[in-house]
Amino acid sequence: MNIKTLLPLILSINVLSGCVTSRVDEMVFNEPEIGIGEATAVILGRRHGSDYATEPDFVQCVGTHIMKKDPTITIIPETYFLDQLYPWFEPRTAPLEPRDLQRFTEERALLQTLESLDLAYMIWIDGSTKNTGSDGSLSCSLHGCFGFATWSNEANYEAIIWDFTARAEVGKVNTESSGQTYMPSIFVPLPIHAPVKGVACDGIGDQLLEFLSGKF
Amino acid sequence: MALLWVYRNTFKLIMLTGLFLSGCGSNQVIVQGDFPTPLIEKLNQTLGVYYEDEFKSHEIFDEARSKGQADWQIRTGEAQVRLWNLIFSGVFSKTLTLSERPSSEKPADGVDVIIIPHVEELQYAIPSHTQVKVYEIWMRYRFELINAAGEPLGDWKMTAYGKTPQNLVMGIEGGQSKEEAINLAAIMALRDAGAHFVTSFRRAEPIALWLDGLSAREDDPNERKFSQPESIELNQ
Repeated sequence: MNIKTLLPLILSINVLSGCVTSRVDEMVFNEPEIGIGEATAVILGRRHGSDYATEPDFVQCVGTHIMKKDPTITIIPETYFLDQLYPWFEPRTAPLEPRDLQRFTEERALLQTLESLDLAYMIWIDGSTKNTGSDGSLSCSLHGCFGFATWSNEANYEAIIWDFTARAEVGKVNTESSGQTYMPSIFVPLPIHAPVKGVACDGIGDQLLEFLSGKF
Repeated sequence: MALLWVYRNTFKLIMLTGLFLSGCGSNQVIVQGDFPTPLIEKLNQTLGVYYEDEFKSHEIFDEARSKGQADWQIRTGEAQVRLWNLIFSGVFSKTLTLSERPSSEKPADGVDVIIIPHVEELQYAIPSHTQVKVYEIWMRYRFELINAAGEPLGDWKMTAYGKTPQNLVMGIEGGQSKEEAINLAAIMALRDAGAHFVTSFRRAEPIALWLDGLSAREDDPNERKFSQPESIELNQ
């Protein structure tokens, strides 16, 4: 079989993507009717669990998704926020409950920086994407990779919204998605990727957008 | 969409293929990264810091335990000095780095107190050791507190921990190389060390006693008597 015959086959495999099933649950109270206006919000990942940590790229994906759909919303980038307010939002020191924000009132420098950011909502994302099983075999040598492999991924994330000024929890969004990725390989691996994390990001981003934006 | 994913991850795919083809050798990590300055009200005191050579060049070497494993060398010394310079200068109004340990013969000039940090232990864990898809670093520090004449005021211990988030590339852990993952875990552990120090150092016994001593001196009525003109008038 020459490359001209193989090319359409390779391309047709590549345009396919693996199936993903997703579910989003939402529970909100005190939703702002006209959105957050000029104020800002920050999305932070929870990283104090022993066997997982919310991925920074997922947190960034949700923020980008929200700002892309409503450019009037300002989401403070997570790394900028963590560095500006170091060490108060590190895994060891981050507040676990809205009432824990009360202890920040004793730190004058911290309070001043928080005020300068004009923060209205603090959103905590807790969860991760896990590989839940794999099958098949793939062997690689100097001549290329051959075989077939498949694996399933599961994304489970919960976003908890805190009203920063009222120091109260005002909403919760939960998303679960799962999918199967396939990777046949003839010389080169050709993955048919199930974008589990991307679907979870879009799902949670859309729900947060409804909360934060006056347009949705 | 899949085509786009393949395009974006071409480099990772090549790296992954390389990983399949590579054998088990030696892994060396020189910890590199940036640290933020702590946001805290500074203590109006001058701190002297003395880094011993062992601290400045701190590293661990872990020889492979079996045939399928690799040696690991993790060098944290430079990153330690960079982090602690930022932490100490964020906590005290002025810090001076001392080139030698002060003694009664050669006391340090212009400092109120001196801290000497030590890394007593560093442990690491990688997925092949733990079957958990995260890279971890754990450290135990000991801080010596001495006065300008080198006399010990006490010491205290502190732990720090850092791990990488699970990162999936095609269902296999490690979106980055093993060395990058250990570097990231080390940076997280160093950040945690700084956070632990900033939020707890006032409660550490030697520091608490030293701070009590400072406030007692400020509250001492005898000291105030000689520094206030009205007291002098009363004595006349």
